[in-house]
Amino acid sequence: MSTESIIWLIPLPPLLAFFLIVLFTNRRKALSHSLAVGAAILSWFGSMVVFFRAIRTEHLGLNPFESVINWLPTGDTWFQIGVRVDPLTAATLFFVAWTVLMIFIYSVGYHNFGQPKGDHDKAGLQPHGATIEDEHGHKHKAPSIEPMYSRFFAFIGLFAFGMYTLVVSNNLLTLFVGWEIMGLCSYLLIGFWYQKPTARAAMIKAFLTTRVGDVFMLLGIAYLYTSVGSLSYTDIFKPETLQKLGSTPAVGGFLGLSAAALIGILLFIGTVGKSAQWPLHVWLPDAMEGPTPVSAMIHAATMVSAGVYLIIRMYPLLRVGSEAGHLSPAMSVMAVIGTFTAIFAATIAVAQNDIKRVLAYSTISQLGYMVAALGIGAYVAVAFHLITHAFFKALLFLGSGSVIHGVEHGVLHTGEEVDPQNMFNMGGLRKKMPITFWTFLIGGLALSGFPIITAGFWSKDEILAEAFGNGHWVVFTVLAIAAFLTAFYTMRQITLTFLGEPRTESAQHAQETPWTMTLPLIILAVFSITIGWAGISESFPVIGGILPNIVHEFIGGTLLEAPEILPFNIWPLLISVIAALGGLSLGWLVYRNQKEGAEDPLKMALGPIHTVLKNKYYFDELYNTIFVRPAYWVADNFTNQILDRGIIDGILHFIARVASNVGHVFRNYFDKPVVNGFGDFVGEGVKKFGRSIKIIQTGKVQQYLLMALILAFGAMFYFVFTFLQH
Amino acid sequence: MIPLSWYLIFAAILFCVGLYGVLVRKNAIGILMGIELMLNSININLIAFWRYRASDGIAGQAFAIIVFAVAAAEVAVGLALIISIYRRRSSVVAEDMNLLKW
Amino acid sequence: MGFVTDNILALILLTPILVAIILLFLPKEQIKLLRWVTLIGCLIPFVLSLYIWLSFNSSTPGFQFETQRIWYGVVGSSFHLGVDGLSLIMVLLTTLLTPIVILASFNITERVKPYMMLFMMLETGMLGVFLSLDLLLFFVFWEVGLVPMYFLINQWGSEKGEREIWGGRKVSARTYASFKFMIYTMAGSLGLLLAIQMIGVSFQTYDLTQLFKTFPVATQLANIPFKLPLETVKAIAFWAFVIAFAIKVPVWPFHTWLPDAHTEAPTAGSMILAGVLLKLGAYGFLRLVLPLYPQEAHRYAGALAFLAVMGIIFGALAAYGQDDFKRLVAYSSVNHMGFVVLGIAAAAYAAGTKDAILALNGAVLQMFNHGLSAAGMFFLVGVIYERAHTRNLNDFGGLFPLIPVYGGILIFTSMASLGLPGLNGFVSEFLVVRGSWPVFTLFTALSMIGLFFTGAYILKGIKKVLHGPTNEHWVGHITEINVREIVVISPLMILMLAIGIWPAWILGVINSAMQLLFKG
Repeated sequence: MSTESIIWLIPLPPLLAFFLIVLFTNRRKALSHSLAVGAAILSWFGSMVVFFRAIRTEHLGLNPFESVINWLPTGDTWFQIGVRVDPLTAATLFFVAWTVLMIFIYSVGYHNFGQPKGDHDKAGLQPHGATIEDEHGHKHKAPSIEPMYSRFFAFIGLFAFGMYTLVVSNNLLTLFVGWEIMGLCSYLLIGFWYQKPTARAAMIKAFLTTRVGDVFMLLGIAYLYTSVGSLSYTDIFKPETLQKLGSTPAVGGFLGLSAAALIGILLFIGTVGKSAQWPLHVWLPDAMEGPTPVSAMIHAATMVSAGVYLIIRMYPLLRVGSEAGHLSPAMSVMAVIGTFTAIFAATIAVAQNDIKRVLAYSTISQLGYMVAALGIGAYVAVAFHLITHAFFKALLFLGSGSVIHGVEHGVLHTGEEVDPQNMFNMGGLRKKMPITFWTFLIGGLALSGFPIITAGFWSKDEILAEAFGNGHWVVFTVLAIAAFLTAFYTMRQITLTFLGEPRTESAQHAQETPWTMTLPLIILAVFSITIGWAGISESFPVIGGILPNIVHEFIGGTLLEAPEILPFNIWPLLISVIAALGGLSLGWLVYRNQKEGAEDPLKMALGPIHTVLKNKYYFDELYNTIFVRPAYWVADNFTNQILDRGIIDGILHFIARVASNVGHVFRNYFDKPVVNGFGDFVGEGVKKFGRSIKIIQTGKVQQYLLMALILAFGAMFYFVFTFLQH
Repeated sequence: MIPLSWYLIFAAILFCVGLYGVLVRKNAIGILMGIELMLNSININLIAFWRYRASDGIAGQAFAIIVFAVAAAEVAVGLALIISIYRRRSSVVAEDMNLLKW
Repeated sequence: MGFVTDNILALILLTPILVAIILLFLPKEQIKLLRWVTLIGCLIPFVLSLYIWLSFNSSTPGFQFETQRIWYGVVGSSFHLGVDGLSLIMVLLTTLLTPIVILASFNITERVKPYMMLFMMLETGMLGVFLSLDLLLFFVFWEVGLVPMYFLINQWGSEKGEREIWGGRKVSARTYASFKFMIYTMAGSLGLLLAIQMIGVSFQTYDLTQLFKTFPVATQLANIPFKLPLETVKAIAFWAFVIAFAIKVPVWPFHTWLPDAHTEAPTAGSMILAGVLLKLGAYGFLRLVLPLYPQEAHRYAGALAFLAVMGIIFGALAAYGQDDFKRLVAYSSVNHMGFVVLGIAAAAYAAGTKDAILALNGAVLQMFNHGLSAAGMFFLVGVIYERAHTRNLNDFGGLFPLIPVYGGILIFTSMASLGLPGLNGFVSEFLVVRGSWPVFTLFTALSMIGLFFTGAYILKGIKKVLHGPTNEHWVGHITEINVREIVVISPLMILMLAIGIWPAWILGVINSAMQLLFKG
């Protein structure tokens, strides 16, 4: 089969699985997950074929695999949609395919396939466990299967479809289609346990917050389409088009920007929403209400990556206007937002107790890294970090899910009332859950950028090196501090969760999870180490050049002018190593002796600052006060009551009332006295007259006859006298 | 020969008698009889005029016979009505019958 | 067969009336018979319009399948019918929605016979507006559509509810709504009638095919009443047309009849009201205002765009503020029709350009899409109202476990209404935004506020109905959607998906029609 046809087919199996499960197999749990996992395997296989063909193709960046069809008639021309695989797409496909497949497999175990139905489980609530009886007649609690098992696989199938569509698109419109479908799925999946009020709130928050970005992005797309007359990457990235966009002033002379800058910023706002950058970051931590595979999917593999993928994709456009040492407006915005987000989220992560929330903030922070790095032009480093981050963050999320699952097992066993997600209720899990521990450790070290062996080190180091090398001191400093904080909270998490002694009974009785959950962990852990080797800079001392720097050559080839490799510099490397190791050690030192029921040592150290951090700088409350409530007031009171019911209906009612009153006047002063009066007069007159002569109608035949006689006589006399006169 | 005017005067008297009976009698049968008298007075007039003025035709006689037939029919219907009213109301007094009012 | 193909438009137009006459002679107790006769009867126009759709040649300019008969020769009016791409889309929407709506009203048990007859009359009225090529005929059908709707709201509307008018006087909500609907629309059509008369007297003809050629270019005329200057005649006629159509669309701030009428109408009535009747106004803009008054339309397009954006924003905000599910959906119509008007305004301003064609493509497709999604939404509201006898969102919540299939369908339809890419609404909204961006940049940007709140109110609806802890109050009372109801909603859903994934099949026809009609 030609590569192009395979690319067309990649997104389809999960979509097909979605429809099949929704329409036919939603009562058959095993069939449903087979369909979904089968579809994921098909897409994975297709992606791998495409990836390896892409890697072997020379100059793929100049001649990408591309195929288009006519989709929308637009006047004399057609709007074409199509698929395209260039190096960036191929690399993205690679990590998306792997992580998606791993998450699909993991979900089977996570939702307790093979376990009995729960005693009191209801659709829309987390399973609460089932009572089972073993051969000795002992009753004990065991995890129970998710009641909406099939639905979950349908949703993640649709999600995978959205992501694959986004990746293989050759134009911004289908990218946006995939983007929004993922938005819908994240909405549905965050609210998967929709009976929980928190989940119900979180799902709406996620959708609406990202939608803020989406409407700007839609404007950006419309603007771009208007200016270029096409949305396909090939047309947009033609040097003459970019040149033209860069020299045209933005519509209406907006802030003195060029068209390219305004489009770039509008598109970037889409990324801010989707990749949870400040100030639209608030939805992502709440999105933890969803099942863990969903968190992994949204936060690592797909959705938030999509935001960064968009800006990497649009980099040639975003870069328009930047010269040596001078960033284009769009890139400056990205650098500022990204850097701020990186440090901002990292500080919050330090003070969170929920194992998944730490990871959520860490994701925001890492995405901030990428955005900031792209803002200073580190194209390849960003793509590299996107890939490594997808692997190790998916690993960490799935690992945290595995931890929670194991602790939940203990909670069911002991019947304790503890939160299985709170890290202070854990401890000592390394012995209970060895596979989870070792894989989580690898993921955590990768996240912290543990030198040499982990993938995260190579990608993060490259970002820091670029920032240092290009002289962006503020960015470099802030990112280095963020790296230190990252290492610190990662080690805090690992120490609290796995090291030391169990702090609760539940942690004591935690159990390793089934192979469907641990296998993905192992595979992702392998990638979390090895993927880094593909991008070792050739100028790195000692080991540089042993392995070819595939990442740089391959992904760099996407751009028309491949980015140059910076010369090696020891300072950023040193600082990054110090940050990583320092943070890790500090985390271990502070938390290694954490006792049951003891306060967080950080709380004592930081005092009120800790409270602020723990409450996420009160952003939720702030937004609630300045956006949500006023919006509702405007909607309900202003628009409905004052505007529609009050003013507009008021005017209508006034007109109606005036008409009604004029009518009354006519009725009372003209109709009633004049028109009715005359009619009544005639009628009444006739009536009176009739009444007065009615007495002669007696009904007696003889009287009638007499009257006839009198009249006859009268007539006779009349005639006689008349005739006599003649 | 008796002059025509005698017949006419006789017929007029007879008519007046009949009319008086019709107007003042209480009994409906009496009223009916009065009507008969009036009709017969007309017949006398018809025959008298025929005999004195147009005795070569039969128009006068024919008219008289038609009047007889009408009178007979009227009496039959009138009596039937009276009997029917009597059965209902046990009365043949014309004063009591005021159904025409309604 | 020759007869059928020669008079196919007349057949489409008059079959519903024929069905209504047949219904007249059926016994009123035979409810089932009445229902099925109506349903089968209104499938005939649908089949016929499908035939037209298949044999329609979208690249031919002008009207096709024309029929012209003597009707009112003295004043120069004739029974002239014809379709082009624009009216074909609308005819198809009407004939498709009517059987669906009839099937949806199978749960009506009171006075079925007059109900069905009124619906058939309504269909003729709507089809007449789309098919007429004669101004007087257009007006006649315009009014014919009004009367049955009045009775449907007034007699079969929801029984609860009161509305205070003034001075503390209260009237029942359905009386209020039907009265407001009738009077408001009548007020608009008075001007329309006046303008039509004036055109008719001035030009000695009501025939649109001739007026399209002569009217816009006319410089002097013999028969102007009162010896008015031609410019005045045109200006009066323009504003009369615009106000009549603006009320029907409805353009903000003429919209307040809509939430009342939609909310109080019976389910099927709301479906047809939102699905087709609103399109009459937009169709009027496209068929009459833009071709007849290009200069005036260009001059006032900015104002129209402003009103459209106000409609988009305030429609969405008002919908977001509602606690009545049906009213929420009703306001969403104001929001969605705002995009239609925005597209029309952009096209009026930039007539003849590619942007205009794109905006018009979007506007017409949005008309069709809104017909599908609004009808679907109203139907789903009706389904739940029939079971719960309340529409108050605060009484629901947590219904998803009780009615999962309904829940899935509701989410799907809501998403189509929200404009989720992959479903129909997105394509049309995107085209409108793309078309109007270069023309009215600021207004387009402002309309994004409305688009955002569209998301907010749709999600509010879903949240308040489906999500949340299981509502024990409704256990056993609210039952799953039944087969008939699924049959009603599935054609709508299939079309939503079909247009979303592969819009070219319908947009192709719209696109060529718009090019033939409006290309410089």
